Amino acid sequence: MLFIDKLFEKAKAKGMSDVQVFLTNNSDLSIEVFEGQLEKYEISNSISMVIRGIYQGKMGTYSTEVFDEALIDTIVDNMIDTAKIIDSPDEAIIYAGDKEYHELTDLYNEELNALDVAKKIEKVKALDQLFHQADPHVTIVETMYAEQTKSVLLQNTKGLKLSNKVNSSMLGGQVIVKNENDQRTGFDLIISNDFKDYDIEKLSNTIVTDAVKTLGAKPIPSGQYEIVFDRDALGILLSAFSGIFSAEAVQKGMSLLKGKLNSKIGSDLVTLVDDPFMKKSSRSRSFDDEGVATRYKELIKEGVLTTYLHNLNTAKKDKVSSTGNGFNGTVSAVNLGLLPGQHSKDELIGMIKNGIYVTDVQGAHAGANSVSGDFSLQAMGFVVKDGQIGAPVALITVAGNFIELLQNIEAIGNDVKTGYYGITCPSIKVKPMVVAGL
Amino acid sequence: MLLEKKIIEKIIETALATGGDFAEVFSEETVTGSIQTVGGLVEKANSRKISGVGIRIAHKLQSVYGYTNSQNPDDLIKLASDLSKSFSDETKTTPIQLGELEIGKKHQVKISPISVKQSEKVELLKKAYQAAKNYDEVIQQVMVGLSEWVQTVVIANSEGRYVSDTRTRIRIGINAIAGKDGVMQTGFEGPGTGKGYEYFFEDVNIETIAKEAARIAKTMLFADECPSGVMPVVIDNQFGGVIFHEACGHSLEATSVAKNASVFCGKLHQQVASPIVTAIDDGTIENAWGSANFDDEGYPQKRRVLIENGILKSYMVDKLNTRRMDHQATGSSRRESYKYSPTSRMSNTYIDNGTSTFEEIISSTEYGLYAKKMGGGSVNPGSGDFNFAVSEGYLIRNGKIAEPVRGASLVGNGAEILWKIDKIANNLDRARGMCGSASGSIPADVGQPTIRVSSITVGGKKGAN
Repeated sequence: MLFIDKLFEKAKAKGMSDVQVFLTNNSDLSIEVFEGQLEKYEISNSISMVIRGIYQGKMGTYSTEVFDEALIDTIVDNMIDTAKIIDSPDEAIIYAGDKEYHELTDLYNEELNALDVAKKIEKVKALDQLFHQADPHVTIVETMYAEQTKSVLLQNTKGLKLSNKVNSSMLGGQVIVKNENDQRTGFDLIISNDFKDYDIEKLSNTIVTDAVKTLGAKPIPSGQYEIVFDRDALGILLSAFSGIFSAEAVQKGMSLLKGKLNSKIGSDLVTLVDDPFMKKSSRSRSFDDEGVATRYKELIKEGVLTTYLHNLNTAKKDKVSSTGNGFNGTVSAVNLGLLPGQHSKDELIGMIKNGIYVTDVQGAHAGANSVSGDFSLQAMGFVVKDGQIGAPVALITVAGNFIELLQNIEAIGNDVKTGYYGITCPSIKVKPMVVAGL
Repeated sequence: MLLEKKIIEKIIETALATGGDFAEVFSEETVTGSIQTVGGLVEKANSRKISGVGIRIAHKLQSVYGYTNSQNPDDLIKLASDLSKSFSDETKTTPIQLGELEIGKKHQVKISPISVKQSEKVELLKKAYQAAKNYDEVIQQVMVGLSEWVQTVVIANSEGRYVSDTRTRIRIGINAIAGKDGVMQTGFEGPGTGKGYEYFFEDVNIETIAKEAARIAKTMLFADECPSGVMPVVIDNQFGGVIFHEACGHSLEATSVAKNASVFCGKLHQQVASPIVTAIDDGTIENAWGSANFDDEGYPQKRRVLIENGILKSYMVDKLNTRRMDHQATGSSRRESYKYSPTSRMSNTYIDNGTSTFEEIISSTEYGLYAKKMGGGSVNPGSGDFNFAVSEGYLIRNGKIAEPVRGASLVGNGAEILWKIDKIANNLDRARGMCGSASGSIPADVGQPTIRVSSITVGGKKGAN
């Protein structure tokens, strides 16, 4: 790209020591079907670039969606202006690269992009029809498909040039089920870059059956209850607290894991990993946004916190190497996963004497505090008595502390799934927790 | 560089060539800036230029949308043509002639944030840091961030609308962390405005706000865990209005009503709330956080009385959803950027003043929770079940505000809670929020006077009393 060459040239001429661009090119397609008809169809293409440059030892940043060469002067001046106000002692680093980068081969599936749009619309309509046929309680159905092809290019004045191309799609739907007294919703989706993974019979059946079971859900008396968190609910919880593993949060005193490295923070059963090479994940990458090679790592091994996640800057401060988790100017996991255990979900539920099988939690963006670790979340699920699933439950809260939760895990399921929030995990059984209801 | 009229006309003509009955062009140029300080030092600063065009075509109940960040006329005409292929009624030519560009004039700013020197903004952030940090020795960390954006849009459609609007927003976020003996608690204040930088001279004192964030963090550090159970809850004014926003507002948006997916469907002109409740969504309040001259379909923003004395008066409806509903469009269409097709959204939403006073409400409550500051929340419009977090709470004992409690959340059902509002004070005030939904994340004000909900489920770690 000529724009990049000219940008580098101009930045150097104005006194910047090193510059890096990170270019993202997204092509998106989305389809929504409502009551058997194609309701919404969206296509798009967008390119954006994040430019980081060092001026007198400080990092200036500029992002743009406009690639007009006439803008280059403004961009460089703006970066210099922002660099000038930085007064944190953090060292600005532009990376020359690693020796080796893991080769990721199956992240882009040509077949998915080549498949005719009409076929995709057909599939969504077929799913829509299955939803309607699945159960007489189904009243309203929204069925959707979304597909993204994402190419990224990293290039800097230290000679590093890396690129990556992935595609991914998801197919799913939301249904509203009704009886005389109650109205409930069901939602799920499949994420893949292979159309063959879309088992729409199974998907529609699961969503509708699960939703119908929740009709008539009511709060139960407040108290202490043993809990099985379904993998979907656990994924939401893990996602809400994923930020605590960032060394940036730790160094700033904003993570409850400060001072906990190499100490036991969870039950022996807990091994939590970050797997940047996970197959069929659109987030998988062999390099992070700083150009550092990504790697598989255990964050918690058998209950012991073994590492924080680092970018170049946090690693330098802690005198370790970057773990390849420098994304979006901060630190984050790529594909966080809780490793599975031995038990089927039914076995986990069977362990409950008096408790709740929690299928969904809501409000994690506000009701989960990643600084204190405390959470109090709206939950839905089913009463469990002596291992038997009973009546549906809604409008209760489950409250606890994330670290206590990790410590109170008594058994882990073998039913791993990658959920909507990008976390891969099984269901778990935990010791009694505080539940508020009636 | 926004699109020329002739090009827009050509795009709309191309879009309608295959039988579409409505076409719209949304062209956007946005400049954003942000500065983040941690521990009083500037750690990150960023400027961003956003630019793109979204094209929408409708045909009866179907709509297609596409966007690109190319401003090249050929690319845009190709996009319109690609989108139009979704329809294949007949080939026709609909000549489009847009009138004079109508430019939004309300919500003027005196000092554009883009024109203010970076060093001046840094000084403001450092002042806030000092005020929060020096509030108390338990304050261990303070993060202060400033973000600003100036969005200029041109919206045109096949019905001849051709308008331009500039929306300026500034927000400061102050996050204080108090810690002692390994326990950490946070306090947050996030004032913002649809004014220019003059906001910091005319309306708010940054140090007062910073101290408030520190005060909340300290109070929560020494608070006990909140008990759980069903009890009366007094929810204070300003951000307390998030309860109406989540519990009812979303379920009154055409996004859910048009598809018969809301608990408020078919309830127009019926009693849906306690008769003391009047609720308004007003996108016209001068320079307010959620205001604009035009909505994102190019029609004037409006003041909408949603509920009056408990009677449901209006939904919030965008133009395309009127095709599914027997309801006029209400100027409620909004979107985050050109990357989203617009839909009905809230603007500045609040419960109107009642006749009680704050003191009366507290003194008439024997036991309950006083939710002084609220965090965010969410709702499932299909079932109406909602939740939200209390970021600063106190127990009320014998009609007096007693000890502080932390970690509380409230859960309930939107249709039910409106009936349970039994007292409304006269101290209406609004606060800033970011609302995430189908058409992206947009600035929205929430607000209310102090209200009392006669009974609601309170979730906390301490368990039942």
